[in-house]
This record gives sequence, structure tokens and C-alpha cells, in this order.
Amino acid sequence: MHIHKFEKIWLIFGITTLLVFLSVIGVSAFYLGNQPPSCLATINPEKVDTTAPFDKPGLKKVEGKEWDYELVFVASAFAYNPGQVEVPKGAKVKVIATTKDVIHGFEVAGTNINMMLEPGFISEYVTTFDKAGEYLIVCNEYCGVGHHMMSSKIEVVE
Amino acid sequence: MAQPGIGKKTNTKVEDQSSLKGTLASVFLLGFFLIITWVGVYFLFLDRF
Repeated sequence: MHIHKFEKIWLIFGITTLLVFLSVIGVSAFYLGNQPPSCLATINPEKVDTTAPFDKPGLKKVEGKEWDYELVFVASAFAYNPGQVEVPKGAKVKVIATTKDVIHGFEVAGTNINMMLEPGFISEYVTTFDKAGEYLIVCNEYCGVGHHMMSSKIEVVE
Repeated sequence: MAQPGIGKKTNTKVEDQSSLKGTLASVFLLGFFLIITWVGVYFLFLDRF
């Protein structure tokens, strides 16, 4: 079969690009351990308020873990608990969140923290808050009539 | 004086049908566009926390 020289060039280019992109996903998942925010951790959505750590939402210092703080959020129609929280700059934080009723979103605007909160599932994201400032948390999954008023705030302070 | 059309020579350039230069250029333009946008989004991801 005759293949034009140019066709060979772009076939090699295309296949190489595909392999590079697939390797990036593989390295990210299997070497760096990246996973979806909601990964197999479950909870009874009717008993969120009495289940640890969601019985005490907010920022907590923890010892002996890969992260320094745990930041717990409970979402419900149409608010987040806590409604505002302060985080020291440079802290490595595991954000842990779930919902008591319907599906909510959890997007910290301008950051990589962007999770879907599903009833019955716990969503988690580990990150280092290394830029001071105020960060708005918004619901980006339509959850009902008060959806647009559902927000919270993270203040990263020096 | 009227000139007869017949016998007049016309020069029409015929491109080589098997030339793929334009196709190669378009493929690489698209390819580099995809790579540049992908890398751009990746660095945005790295820059944010």
C-alpha cells in the first residue's frame, strides 16, 4: 500500500500526540494518585448531622496526616455550613463536603476546587491554600428556587 | 476586425493533483492549536490551588 510522505508525517504526529495525552492521564491517575472528588466514600444522607466529621463543620487541625487541616462543609437547600471560614495561608487542607438533600455544587471560584456534592456520597479535595484573599464558594448545580443565593466564603489570611 | 476564437491559446495552470502541501499545513495548524490550548489550560490548572 502506498502512503504519501506527508500522510506518514501527520499520522506519526497525531499518534504521538494521542499517546502523550493518554500517558498524562495514566501518570496523573496511577502515579500521582489523582482521583475524582467523590471516590467510593459514602454516608447516610439522613444522618449527616450526627455523622463525624459532618457533626462539626468548619476548619479543624489534624495531626499525623498528609494534610494539616480538615475543612468540613455541609450543603443543604440553600446554604453551606459554615457560611464563612478563615484558613491560614500556606495550610495544606483536605476539603471534605457532602449534602443533606439534593445534588449541590461546590465551586471555590478562581481555584481548582470544584466538586459535585451528591446525597449519600462524600466529596474530598486536598490542596494547599498558598494565595491570600477572599474566595467565594458557589453552587453550580441547579438545586431549586434558592440556588442563586447559595454561597459561602473562604478567607485565606496571612 | 473580428478575431476568431478558435485557435486562441489559453494558459490554464493545472495544480499537481497529488500535492498535499495545503493539507499538511492545515493538519499541523490544527495540531499546534490543540497542543497550545491544552498546555495553556494545564498551566492555568498548575497556577491555581
